[in-house]
Amino acid sequence: MIVISNLTVQFGGVKALTQLDAVLDHPVCGLIGPNGAGKTTLVNVLSGLVQPRTGHIAVDGTDLLALTPTQRVRFGLRRSFQTEQVVEDLDVWSNVLAMLDHVPHERAGAKAEVGRVIDYVGLAPVATVLGARLNLFQRRMVEVAKALVGAPRLLLFDEPGAGLTEQEAVFLRRALLGIQDFCGAQVLLIDHDVDLIKATCTQTLVLDFGQRLALGPTQQVLEDPAVRRAYLGTEE
Amino acid sequence: MTPISIASPMAIPPSIDALQIALDRVRRERLRSLLVMLGTLLVLGTMLPWLANAYWTKTFSSALALSVAAAGVGLLYGQLGLVSLCQFALLGVGGWVALRISHGSGLPFELCVLAAGLVSALVGMLAGLPALRLKGLYLALVTLMLAGGFQVVITVVGFPDGGPGWLGRVEGGERLLMARPAVATSDSAYLRYVVLWLAAVLALIELHRRTRAGRSWALIRRGEAAALGAGVNVLLYQTWAFALAGFCAGVGGALLAGGVGQLDGRAFGASESVMLFALSVVGGVYHWLGAIIAGLLLRAVPALLTDFNVNGFLAMVFFGAALLHALITAQEGVAGQVLSLLHRVRARWTAGSAP
Repeated sequence: MIVISNLTVQFGGVKALTQLDAVLDHPVCGLIGPNGAGKTTLVNVLSGLVQPRTGHIAVDGTDLLALTPTQRVRFGLRRSFQTEQVVEDLDVWSNVLAMLDHVPHERAGAKAEVGRVIDYVGLAPVATVLGARLNLFQRRMVEVAKALVGAPRLLLFDEPGAGLTEQEAVFLRRALLGIQDFCGAQVLLIDHDVDLIKATCTQTLVLDFGQRLALGPTQQVLEDPAVRRAYLGTEE
Repeated sequence: MTPISIASPMAIPPSIDALQIALDRVRRERLRSLLVMLGTLLVLGTMLPWLANAYWTKTFSSALALSVAAAGVGLLYGQLGLVSLCQFALLGVGGWVALRISHGSGLPFELCVLAAGLVSALVGMLAGLPALRLKGLYLALVTLMLAGGFQVVITVVGFPDGGPGWLGRVEGGERLLMARPAVATSDSAYLRYVVLWLAAVLALIELHRRTRAGRSWALIRRGEAAALGAGVNVLLYQTWAFALAGFCAGVGGALLAGGVGQLDGRAFGASESVMLFALSVVGGVYHWLGAIIAGLLLRAVPALLTDFNVNGFLAMVFFGAALLHALITAQEGVAGQVLSLLHRVRARWTAGSAP
């Protein structure tokens, strides 16, 4: 469960997030909003790449802001980036293993853990293929595998479906829906694909100009007139 | 938690058995490439002393000692994308330490080499501190300034040559030569001895590249945010890389000192660090072969020109053209081109022998 209270982030004279309060307690939560709403800033604050001016964040009761970025990873926080970060001269296996290197795990079980995760995301047939030779979908799934390895608690996916075909998006959707059963981690998903959010997230937070516009069950939030006006661009 | 099964959109269904087979194949390929590296060095160590005359034997010893230092440059640039222009100065630090300890304490040569490597590693770590804040051109400039600082200091202080005092300098008397290892007193034996050290250093770097350190360096090279997102301690792994590169330079310096017996401060100008970096790029920073080629380019090409009664400084023109070529069309350097050619030949050979 993520509890955000009074979170403000400011870059010079621009407030990226303003006194944000939210409790995200569903297994798969969505985070949507127009461009510049502060979605990625929130993920950057959660992962420790940006320091907030004020506020608190607790994940499963742990004060997240008291931890360094590397401590957060060891705690179980994982994130993906809008631009995938697959290392081109490492194969899929090593890309995932590189993630496991820096989180607590049993040395003897490392191989089985990486194999289990790679199999889950359907990359076993290309496990020994270099990152440079993967297509976009495979690269996106490597990012999912990296997030899943090593007993994660909270997964932050920043537009994992960007650029995927319909069939690939269906596969991603099924992978995201299975995460709770696979490893028990909570997922916070940012995406502009409303169908993906609808299909995977039971709770959604909507941001606009760095402020909370709506928070609640996804269907209810997407039908909110204010959300439709600000994000979906629909006339009332 | 029970793993769930997801149907893959790919043609081949996921299979842990197939994965295991593929991983075993990769492990075999990696072992084979390591054996090829050691085999190549074995051939070099055997053939060069046998084929070369006295002049070329000494030249090859110096060239391969410089290859040890070039391996460190390749590590920093190839693995982390960091441009350090003080590696030749660190080579000088290693040479100074080895000469000082050898003349001052008479310790075995191997211990002098190790001490030179360790001190250079420490200095390399300190030189790498700006890397925690600087990247690219700015890091290059700062490290070049450090090389310039070393040039000034070594010009004043000079290299130890068996004299008294902390600096170990002989004033007005006969300069002593550094004692070579008992197993390698002749030039031919010393060349083989240098090849052994080169093999050890290259194997050490390969070991790093294939394990946790190499994967962490790869993540840092991909982007600091990605590395932090993966929990990599960027400070630790960058410092580690600078230390290892410094160690390589120090070992190279000690081997150079052992080969010649004495070192001259005038040969350790800041421009030499630039040249070492440039030729490491030309040789290829992504493969161990690149370090060997870089060492040969630094020492053997000028010697070859001299052999043909051509001014050795003409090599600079050749190096400039080669660097331009490497930067524009062959970013994996000469090593990359050689390997690509070998792959093509192998593929054609395999295709030709297939039924």
